[in-house]
Amino acid sequence: MAAIEVGKEPASIDVKSLLARQGIFIAFVLFMIGFGIFSDKFLSPENLLTVLRQSAIIGVMAVGVTVVVLSGNLDLSVGSMLSFGTVMVVDLHDKLGATPAIGIMLIAVLVLGAVNGFLIGFLKLNSLIVTLGMLSAIQGLTLIYSGGKNVDVADQETTWFAIFGRGDILGVATPIVIFAVLAVIMHIVMSRTPYGRRIYAVGGNATAAVFSGIRRNRVVFSTYLISAFCTGIAAIILGSRVMGSQNNVGQGYELLVLAGVILGGTSLLGGSGNILKTVLGVLILGFIQNGLLLLGFPYFAQWIVTWVVIILAVWLDVAAKRGRLLSPIA
Amino acid sequence: MKFSKLLAATTAIAAVSLAGAASAEGMKIGITQNNVGVDSYQTTYEKAFIEAADANSDVEAVVLDAGGDVARQIAQIQDLIQQKVDAIIIWPTNGKAVVPAVRKAQQAGIPVIITNSNIAAEGMEFIAAFSGPDNITQGARSAELMCEALSNKGEVVQISGQPGYTTAIERQKGFEDRLAEACPDVKIIETQPGDWNREKSQRVMEAFLTKYDNIDGVYAGDDNMGVGGLNAAKAAGRTGIAFIGATNFAVGYEAMGRGEYYGSIYQSPVDDAKAALQTAIDVLGGKEVPKLNYFDTPKITQKNMNEFTKPVF
Repeated sequence: MAAIEVGKEPASIDVKSLLARQGIFIAFVLFMIGFGIFSDKFLSPENLLTVLRQSAIIGVMAVGVTVVVLSGNLDLSVGSMLSFGTVMVVDLHDKLGATPAIGIMLIAVLVLGAVNGFLIGFLKLNSLIVTLGMLSAIQGLTLIYSGGKNVDVADQETTWFAIFGRGDILGVATPIVIFAVLAVIMHIVMSRTPYGRRIYAVGGNATAAVFSGIRRNRVVFSTYLISAFCTGIAAIILGSRVMGSQNNVGQGYELLVLAGVILGGTSLLGGSGNILKTVLGVLILGFIQNGLLLLGFPYFAQWIVTWVVIILAVWLDVAAKRGRLLSPIA
Repeated sequence: MKFSKLLAATTAIAAVSLAGAASAEGMKIGITQNNVGVDSYQTTYEKAFIEAADANSDVEAVVLDAGGDVARQIAQIQDLIQQKVDAIIIWPTNGKAVVPAVRKAQQAGIPVIITNSNIAAEGMEFIAAFSGPDNITQGARSAELMCEALSNKGEVVQISGQPGYTTAIERQKGFEDRLAEACPDVKIIETQPGDWNREKSQRVMEAFLTKYDNIDGVYAGDDNMGVGGLNAAKAAGRTGIAFIGATNFAVGYEAMGRGEYYGSIYQSPVDDAKAALQTAIDVLGGKEVPKLNYFDTPKITQKNMNEFTKPVF
C-alpha cells in the first residue's frame, strides 16, 4: 500500500506527506519490528498466519461496522449478534444440515440488522441507544433459543462445514481468504461506486446529502444490513472453527471490533476513513494480543499494555496528520 | 444492649421451634439462583432441583433466579424473608455482596444454605451450611491425573478460568499445589486465562503451540476450554499432548471416547442440586450438619468413563 502511494509522488519523496497519510501503517510496521526483536517466534510464517486466521472473525465484523460508522452511526449489537448467529448455525447444523443452517441463520441475522436499520434509518433514533439495547435484547433471544445449553456439532470430522473455520483454499486458511475477499469487495464498493459515495456523503454531512437527493434513511438502513451480513459470515467462521458454541461467545467482541475500526482511523463522526485501514487496525490489535502472549505477559499486564499501544498508535496517526508530535494549539 | 441480645436469643429460639414445627407438616424452602440459562450447568441444576423438590411431598419449593444481578438477588432474599419461608438456599451472584442480606435472614431466624459457590469468609458465621463442589480438591485431583498421564515428568501449560472467579482461583491453586507435591518434575511453563470461553482458549493454545516446541500436557479449568485447546493442537498437527480438564462436559466426554482427551473431573449439576436440597432438609430436621458439605466429584478418565453417564451439557 505504501509503495503505491510512494509511486505517485514526484521524483523526490516527501517524507512528511507520506507520514501524514500513512501514520497507522508506520505504527503497524514499528510494532511488528518491536515484537520481532523480543520474540524469535513472532515473525515466523506460522505465527503470522495464525494471527491472520485469528483476526479474521473480528476483521470480517469490522468491515461491516466500518460501513456503519462511515455513514455516521454506531453498531454495538454485533457482539451478541455473533453469539446468536453462532449458536443458531451450530444448532441447526445437526438438525437440518449445513446448507439450510447457514441460509436460515443469515436470514435471521439480516432480520435483526433490519430492525436496527429501521429504527435508526427510518425512525431516526440514536444509533448508540438502539444498538446498545439490541446488544442485550439479542443476548436474551440467544438464551431463549438455546435454553441456556451449549451447542456442539456431533460429527466434526467429516462435515463439509469444517471448511469455513478449519479448512484452506489453495493452501491459505479459509478464514483469511474470506476476510481478504470481503475486505477487497467492500473497499471497491466504498471507493468506486455511487452507493459508496452516498454512504460517505450521508456520514460527512447528512443534511447536504438529503438536499442532494440522497435517500438518507435507505442508505442508513442498508448499512445495518451489511453489518449484520458480515457478522453472520463471522458466525459461520467461528462456529466452524470451534465446532460448538456457548451463549456468550461473542461477549465483548463489539468493543474489539470498534477498537479495530477506530485504530484504523475511521472517524466516529462519520464520513472519513476506509476499509483497508480498518483491516490494518484489526491486524494491529491481533498482533498486539498475540505478541504479548508470546512474550509471556500475565493477562492483567496485557490489558494495560493493549491500551497503551492503542493510545500510541492513535497518537502517532494524529501526529502524522498534523506533522508534529505535540500540537501547539489545543 | 443486654435487652437486644436477649431479644435476639428469644427470636432465635422461637424460630427454631417454628422450624421444628414446620418440618412436621411440610417445609417451605426458597432458593435464589445465580443465573439460570446462562449455561447448561445452571439450567440442568434448576431442573434437577425442581424435580427433587417435587418428589419430596414434605417440601414446598419457591424457586427464584437472580439473572446474575446482585441487586435482584438481595431483593429476592428480602422477599423470601417476608414470605417467612423455613429455609433459604442461595447460589451467590457475588460472595461478598450478599452477606448483609444473609445476615438479615439469620436475624429473622431463617437458616441459610449456600449452594455451589461459597459466600465470602465474613459471611460464614451467618449461614447454616454450605453445599457444593470442593474446587481445591478438584484442582488437586486434576494434578494427580496429570502426574499419571505424564509418568511424573514433563512440561505443561495451564488455561485457567475467568480471572477473579472463586472457582477459577480455587481450581488453579489446587492444581498448582498438588502438582508441586505429587510430581515435582512436571513443570507448569505458563498459565493464561481462557475466560471459560472455548474460542478464547483455542486462541491461547495456538499461541502456546507457537511459543513452545514441546508441550506434554494441558490443564484447563473446565472441559469447555480443554476442548478449545484440543481443537488448536489438532489443527496444528501436534500429537502426544495429554489434555486434562474439570467439570466434565459432553464434548469432553466424547473426546475421551475418541481417545483424544485424557481425563477430567465429573461434577454433576444433578448431584449439586440434590445435595443442596438435602442439606436444607437436614438443617430443618435438626440434624447435625457440618458447615461445609462437599458432594463427591470423582476423577473420570478414558479407562473408567463407562461408569459415568454422558453429561447432558
